[in-house]
Amino acid sequence: MLSRFSTSRKVGKLSFLIAIVSITGLAFSNTQTFASSAFKSAADPYSGKLVYWFWAESDVPGSTAWMQAAIKRYEALHKNISIELVPQGSDTLQGAFETTAQSKSGPDIAMQWATLPVLTPVWRGQVASLKGLVKPSEMANWLNTSENVSGGEVWAMPLYLLGEPFVWNKTLFKKAGLDPNKGPTTWAEFLAFSAKLKAAGITPIQMGLKDGAFGAWFQATVGTQNLDSVQELKDVYTGKAKFTDPKYSSYLTQLDTLSKKGYFNKDIASIDINQAWQNFAQGKGAMTWTTDGNVAAWVKAGLEKQIGVQMTPKLGTGKLANFHTATQSISAFITSWSKNKQAAATFLSWLHQPENLASWYEATGAFPADKRFSAANIKNPLMKKLFALNSQPGQLWAENYAPPQVDSNGLRPFGAAVVTGTSTPAKAAADIQNSIKQWQTQQPADFKSYKLWASGK
Amino acid sequence: MIESQGSAVTVRGKNRLRNGRYREIWPAVFLLPAIFMLGVVFVFPLISVVKFSFYAGRVGDLAPVGFANYYNLLHDSVFLIAIKNNLKLLITAPVSVALALTISLILYEGVKGWRTYRIIVFIPYIIPGTVVGLSFSYLLQQSGILNTVLNRLHLSKLALDWLGNGALSIYSVGGLLIWSQLGFSVIALTAALLSLPQEVNEAAIVDGASKWQKQRYVIIPQLKNTIQFLFVLQIINALAWVFPYVFTLTRGGPGNSSMVMDLFIWQYGFSLGSVGYASAAAVYLLGLSGIFIYLYSRIRRNQEEL
Amino acid sequence: MKRLRELGLLQQGFLVVISISSIYPVWFILQTAMKTNQEYMLRPLNLPQGLRLENIKEVFNSFPVLHWAFNSLLVCIFSVGFCTVIALFASYSIVFGGWKSTRAMLNSNIALMVIPPVTLVIPMFSLMVDLHLMNTLPSVIFFYTGLFLPFSIFLLSNFMKSVPRELIEAAKIDGLSAISTLWRIVVPLSSAAIFTLILVNAIYAWNELLIAMVFLQQQNSRTLMSGLVLFQGRFSTNIPLVMAGALISIIPPLLMYIFGQRFFIKGMLSGIGK
Repeated sequence: MLSRFSTSRKVGKLSFLIAIVSITGLAFSNTQTFASSAFKSAADPYSGKLVYWFWAESDVPGSTAWMQAAIKRYEALHKNISIELVPQGSDTLQGAFETTAQSKSGPDIAMQWATLPVLTPVWRGQVASLKGLVKPSEMANWLNTSENVSGGEVWAMPLYLLGEPFVWNKTLFKKAGLDPNKGPTTWAEFLAFSAKLKAAGITPIQMGLKDGAFGAWFQATVGTQNLDSVQELKDVYTGKAKFTDPKYSSYLTQLDTLSKKGYFNKDIASIDINQAWQNFAQGKGAMTWTTDGNVAAWVKAGLEKQIGVQMTPKLGTGKLANFHTATQSISAFITSWSKNKQAAATFLSWLHQPENLASWYEATGAFPADKRFSAANIKNPLMKKLFALNSQPGQLWAENYAPPQVDSNGLRPFGAAVVTGTSTPAKAAADIQNSIKQWQTQQPADFKSYKLWASGK
Repeated sequence: MIESQGSAVTVRGKNRLRNGRYREIWPAVFLLPAIFMLGVVFVFPLISVVKFSFYAGRVGDLAPVGFANYYNLLHDSVFLIAIKNNLKLLITAPVSVALALTISLILYEGVKGWRTYRIIVFIPYIIPGTVVGLSFSYLLQQSGILNTVLNRLHLSKLALDWLGNGALSIYSVGGLLIWSQLGFSVIALTAALLSLPQEVNEAAIVDGASKWQKQRYVIIPQLKNTIQFLFVLQIINALAWVFPYVFTLTRGGPGNSSMVMDLFIWQYGFSLGSVGYASAAAVYLLGLSGIFIYLYSRIRRNQEEL
Repeated sequence: MKRLRELGLLQQGFLVVISISSIYPVWFILQTAMKTNQEYMLRPLNLPQGLRLENIKEVFNSFPVLHWAFNSLLVCIFSVGFCTVIALFASYSIVFGGWKSTRAMLNSNIALMVIPPVTLVIPMFSLMVDLHLMNTLPSVIFFYTGLFLPFSIFLLSNFMKSVPRELIEAAKIDGLSAISTLWRIVVPLSSAAIFTLILVNAIYAWNELLIAMVFLQQQNSRTLMSGLVLFQGRFSTNIPLVMAGALISIIPPLLMYIFGQRFFIKGMLSGIGK
């Protein structure tokens, strides 16, 4: 009875299986998308396929749409170039790049925040130098390039200049009996305003912690105010100073005070910073820190009359307390593995052509990081005020001086832990110091580069 | 069982000359693809991960550091939180099995609509953990849906900050884990219940045993194997399969309070490029699961000897 | 009698609560995906104002979702297929191969089941980089196939133990080759277990995040799950869009379940019964 199972059928079945396997093998070999075989000649700067990992939407609402349109224009100008724009999320920006860099493949153009987030991949050999790719005369027009200098070279292109102003809701200030045209300028005033707002049933400060951002934001806006120089800030990462020194960590106590007094929105820990800004724009909270780009978006949405802007209140006594917080924020660079470096550089330079700068400003309201952009273009008084703040010398965004590992594993989570009450200021300071030490031991090469860079080389 | 295999061996031995080498070789040939796959996917990485754990730096730029990674991990408050959290998640094993047992016993009694309930209860199991995490991250926000409902029902006291409260966030993760795995346990237990010999049931009824007694002394003991299996499965889940939930629900926060091992290892290994540190953490995790492998194999051995 | 009725009510109540909590998140995804952001923020609990598909459209415009879904499907089919075939051969060999060390084999197999996949990811990553398989589906398919094996062998060999030995012996006497015996006798007898296995592994492959995220980073090489996590960062202030993405990714398994649920549960029931 069992003999009816013939061998020929078995063989047939097996060969069928093998056929399927080999066919799929062929099919898969085509899914390797980044092989740019369709385009040849690396010498021609106007041909090739570029993959561009883009981030800016969180800083500057509307920027992704603008970039998509700009790419369409560029592709229409140069028929042999194709650019794939891949927008990134804030939460995965750094991690995704490091992961892809480890695989020795990835985008041709990537973006990271200025200074350490850019310089870390630079030191790891993941970034191509702009020298020889972009004309010096072109580069001379870019603003704030000093933020991305290491070894005497500029490694990344700024797109926009971004301040991180302190903002308040005038309507809510009025409701609480405060002068709607005057923001708090000192720590005492800040507390007094908060108390008054709270008494009036208004959430004094609207912020988001889910991504930990505010932990680092508070350090960048308030935590540096006891320092006298950027060098002092670098000292804590080179090991010359300790984060547990109150000079560096007293902001954690201030954070704790604000939290204990209940001045933050109740859902601070379960929303992220962009949700918090959305809530602020809807009048759910009287004060917050935000970006120029978001203020510009609110102005566009007709909220101009409601919003007051200024520098962060002076909460510390160091010299840095006199400076506004601003940076070129996200910076674009060309990866070392890109096969079309010249094409990438040419495209990046094109983004800085005056007509593109104008269209960027028109679309987003954020200030282009280029000398060729004229302040006369800015008509709105609120934005004028922000531009004036950004144009002051000595501006700084301290988070950018922390190695990304210390930022994501130290400043962000432990600042957040203080706000949520799972840690104390003293313990959080020790934990952040520990995260600095960890970075130094786990990434000896990065640490060495940092020290060299901090010494001005 | 072992004897029957012994005879198979001798039969094969005799067949060797008559049938050529074909019969002799097939067991090995059949096993080969599996051995190859397990070798590449399990054995090679396990050796490799131990090797990595003694280095600092990034792949291609590694510097030997001896046991420093192991030592530093023990002084890393975040790593300790991660271990503690994984251990806390073990609580989901008894809770979820007990819950599943209750549900399947009720369904087994044939309550009205049991068929529908069975279909519904299985739904969460087929929803991807990523989607579960995403949707619950909005449902459970302090000002999210769950709390809105609780407030409307005048149960404001129960409206906690599920994700924002550092003491609570890991339990929210645990809740999600139970929610999404419950269906599988219910089906597994139902399957076991349906395969019980009918006579046992009837005998108990004749004996005049109450419903509770019947369940306690007749039915549950016979489900022992399944319960044990589900228990182990849940423990594996709690130790090593929470990544999608945590990644989307809390990203380990707030302030690392819901950090777990797989997120920790992923973060160091990939986001930050500290391969050695991540590997050392992985070795600790292996040790931890080794304890459970050992315990489970002990239990199994005891059973088989019975 | 009264106590019995109370108990019945209690049971029904309990089951209703469990059912609601099982379904509500799905309902939440569905209804939120139909809302505008404004609508969601003002009335998160209310019904959407109609069958609004703009969010779905927007999701399709922003991300290559169809491409991702196709990738997920391929990964699912091939990893589950390879794994099932390999596990069938291995289990058959372990149970009927006349090994003296059957038990040791099964025990070490169980040990592999408990190994957390995350501990394997780093070395596998460098292996795939060396093999130039990064960002290709075969990298993930290969990894999944290996990962599913221990559980698959465990389940199948447990099931095969119940296949009467005499049947195999009889086949052998009839001169049937081992491969035919497996294909024609053991596989049909184990169909329920195989079905369960395919199901459990397919759900796993469709849902897996960590490995997919690490190995597939190019926009077009992603699976649905590793693509979906991008939504959270991209649309953090537009929850309905995130939910629209979630909705798209659960529709395939949900539809399969709804239309095949009888088969589904029946197969599961007889598959894990052992």
